[in-house]
Amino acid sequence: MSKLGQVVGSIENYNKFVLDQVKRARTDRQFGRELLGRWNDTKAKIPVTRTPTGVPLPRLALPEIDDPGEIARYLFAEGLPGEFPFLNGAYREMYLEPIREVESFEKNGEPPQRSSRQPLPQAEEPTRLFSGLMLAEDTNERFHYLTRHQRTHRLSTAFDGPTLYGIDSDADGVFGKIGEGGVAIDTVEDMVRLYDGFDLGSPNFSASMTISGPAPVIMAMYIAAAKRRFGTKVIPKLRGTIQADIFKEVQAQNETIFPIEASLRFLTDMVEFTTQEMPRWYPISISGYHIGEAGSTPVQQAAYTLSNGFAYAEMFAARGIPVDQFGPRLSFFLDCGLDAEYIALARVSRRIWAIGMRDVFGAGPRAQLFKLHTQTSGRSLIAAEFKNNLTRTAAELVLAYMNATNSCHSNSADEPFTTPSEEWIRLAAHGQAILLEESGIFKHTMNMLSGSPGMKAVERAVEAAILDEFREIERLGGVLAAVEDRYQRSQIQNAAHRYEQQIYNGTRPIIGLNRYRDGDNDIPEVKLARTPRKKQQLQVDRLAKFKKKNADKAKRALDKLADVVERGENCFPVLLETAEVCSLGQITGRLQEIVGRFRPMV
Amino acid sequence: MASPIRILTAVPICDGHDSAINTINLEFIRHGIEVVYLGYHRSVGDIVRAAIQEDVRAIGISSYNGGHIEFFAEVIALLRKRGANDIKVFGGGGGTITHQDAAAMKRKGVDNIFFAGTSLAQMTDYVRKHYGKPRKRSRPRSPDQELPQKLTEIEDAYAAGRKHRARKAQSKIRSPQGVHPSRRAIRNTRVVGFTGPGGAGKTTLIDELVLRFLNQSPQGRIAILSHDPSVIGEGALLGDRATMINSQNDRVFMRSMATRGEAGGLSPATQDCLALLARSGFDYVIIETVGTGQEAMPFQKTGLVDQTVLVMNPDYGSRLQLQKIVMLDLADIVVVNKSDLQRARTAHTEIEQRLEQNRRDQRLIDTVAKRHRDAGVDELFKLISGGSK
Repeated sequence: MSKLGQVVGSIENYNKFVLDQVKRARTDRQFGRELLGRWNDTKAKIPVTRTPTGVPLPRLALPEIDDPGEIARYLFAEGLPGEFPFLNGAYREMYLEPIREVESFEKNGEPPQRSSRQPLPQAEEPTRLFSGLMLAEDTNERFHYLTRHQRTHRLSTAFDGPTLYGIDSDADGVFGKIGEGGVAIDTVEDMVRLYDGFDLGSPNFSASMTISGPAPVIMAMYIAAAKRRFGTKVIPKLRGTIQADIFKEVQAQNETIFPIEASLRFLTDMVEFTTQEMPRWYPISISGYHIGEAGSTPVQQAAYTLSNGFAYAEMFAARGIPVDQFGPRLSFFLDCGLDAEYIALARVSRRIWAIGMRDVFGAGPRAQLFKLHTQTSGRSLIAAEFKNNLTRTAAELVLAYMNATNSCHSNSADEPFTTPSEEWIRLAAHGQAILLEESGIFKHTMNMLSGSPGMKAVERAVEAAILDEFREIERLGGVLAAVEDRYQRSQIQNAAHRYEQQIYNGTRPIIGLNRYRDGDNDIPEVKLARTPRKKQQLQVDRLAKFKKKNADKAKRALDKLADVVERGENCFPVLLETAEVCSLGQITGRLQEIVGRFRPMV
Repeated sequence: MASPIRILTAVPICDGHDSAINTINLEFIRHGIEVVYLGYHRSVGDIVRAAIQEDVRAIGISSYNGGHIEFFAEVIALLRKRGANDIKVFGGGGGTITHQDAAAMKRKGVDNIFFAGTSLAQMTDYVRKHYGKPRKRSRPRSPDQELPQKLTEIEDAYAAGRKHRARKAQSKIRSPQGVHPSRRAIRNTRVVGFTGPGGAGKTTLIDELVLRFLNQSPQGRIAILSHDPSVIGEGALLGDRATMINSQNDRVFMRSMATRGEAGGLSPATQDCLALLARSGFDYVIIETVGTGQEAMPFQKTGLVDQTVLVMNPDYGSRLQLQKIVMLDLADIVVVNKSDLQRARTAHTEIEQRLEQNRRDQRLIDTVAKRHRDAGVDELFKLISGGSK
């Protein structure tokens, strides 16, 4: 049995355990009294805040129950926010604004005078905006624009096609793709330009890089760039995330460049290095987003993401990395669309992860957390009457925050036809601010929208369906075997096909497309962010200069890298040296000579 | 009856968005179109080479990662450079291709761009209407074009039930180097047949052998005739190219054929097409059947195959099943692919015993074709390249 089979067992056992506790609370008086005492104690300690209109609200809302059995069910099956099994949230307060007036429910007297000069301690904004366009300096400028009002600088980087496929900008036939859909990165020098002006070692800075196939090479370039600017001592301070999720690439996104096993080996090399040397770095973002975007159902998305996560955990543990060292450095990334499952998809995922990590992998509290970044669904946005996309994204944002996501990206309404332009990016960011800061939905009270009967029904249905998927994958021999068998791919493709058919036959209403369509629905001519040829040529010229300058050093560095890879050692430390003098394409090309190229699955 | 429309579909280089094209491919084949699917992340050179070799009517490109104006233009420019003006180009990219872009692309020679909201039925209708009629075309400019066109003539003649014309078509051809095929050329071409059940890994194995061949013979040329199943008058998904990474090379000629109702793993036109390829100056001609059943003996009729390879999956069922597989008596080489699977050792032992009964000195080789530099594939390559007729 792979660990995934054991995870299924652990969830079943845990659910049994909950029922036993409910029964015990009702029959064992001593236990019942203890629970009731704990419950009342918890409730009494909940601070109270006031809304701007003066209504007092508890910082945490709990169900109005006093039966020890129901209390047991709540505490064990859901847990308070920040408590195992984390159904209601990974952390206690998530995005609550600082307390306006602290007082207990009991004495509801005059509000105490607050010293108005004391600024409120502010939590960090959960807003993340994914961007990347043209050349490194253009994206850098965009980053500075985006963060000018932010207390913290959390940059989320999109790369162009050639970079995602580990190809250099001077490769045959990619000229038109340079800087399209993301930033073009060929060398460590581009990486220096990309984050210029930001303090990479500061706790207020983090970089997220959305790239998987060549992730270890790009990671090495990032470290090399940081070293150039701040010296070696910056390495342990680096914060950020690199996606590096090979399984989902093979299952859905098709940006894989090495054969699966070689890709997994390079990934594990990187994880081994970063979890030791860069304790604040997230070396993998286990991603369902692209699975969802490729057309999966929400349940498939969660099931494949979680099972991929457990497979990685099994692999890292097999390399000898302690679970409490790598566990807290795993992060997750889910899609949030408009289907009903999204009401609780991330909640259920967080719970399954925590139970599986604790009971199968022996993970401690920090390694049990399902730290989640959510992005609203790009696929749900359409070009026809594209301003409707604002509403779609707003609804998805509400769902994402109802699931207590740790961070979130909201899509721009113009995404169906272009790399988002500044106008629509600003509206997308404002959408989040309106929801979190302007509206009272999420800032006063935890659990504001959790626990409705409907949500619970969704939770039960989604959990059961996810476990069914786990069983099927286990039956196929585990995640890697199922991937090689194209199981997840074919399931996703089938779901995508069904989705398209539903749109065409109208059983899935898409407003402005197959319903309430208003006459001529052409794509608006918006200002497009396209990379000018001059810039594309500049990138090619820069690369040529870099290659010429480093020709001799590059050859030696590549030979050294090849040697380590052939010997089967951890190649990441050598990759750091290689990244100083070689381009992305030179490195991936050499690695492919040794381990082969990825054979596409169709 | 006329041949089905043949088109090629692909997703451009640095683009992995294959969701739309997968759906569209299925819709096309459901409506009687034969689709050669090249896969995603494909370069202009790969697309144009494949389109000419497959002699398709049109190329459909699904692009979602930008750079489409340049990419489509480069495809058309290269088609023209190669003299293949008769191969048309159409495509789409959801909302990523604007009307302005589309207008620019059409000016550069793209037939049509489908926008978001176009129904599958509209696309199918378009293809049938525009690429369904016989095309007029000028004489092929190069042997690289002539060979594919002759193959089309053979296939068309069989579709129309005119066997003798097919024979005529294949008798008048220059070899791709421009010299008339001589007996010598025939003798120097080695024809190797690959067959076996679906999912055994024939395509991957062939692609790995091609890599070894290209490395070993820097001037060598190889042809692959690959088959996928179809019913008479219906479409087919000819998808072998999509998983082949080493065979996208100017020294590799590949042609994908649909069986068009023929049982046994090959097409009615295979014999004549094979005969033509065998006289066209290649070092090797590899013929790959569709996934076959126990009773199949696809190469018996052709009489042109020098060496036959049966590729098996370790999961063939019980030992009794082995007795029923006719090809185990006929194949020169039996390959147990996926020999990293648990059952592979048992399979090897059982097949070995089965082959011993034949007393024919058949060879049995274990491979893991998906593994880079697999020793079993090396051994198979040696057997094929070193063996004599």
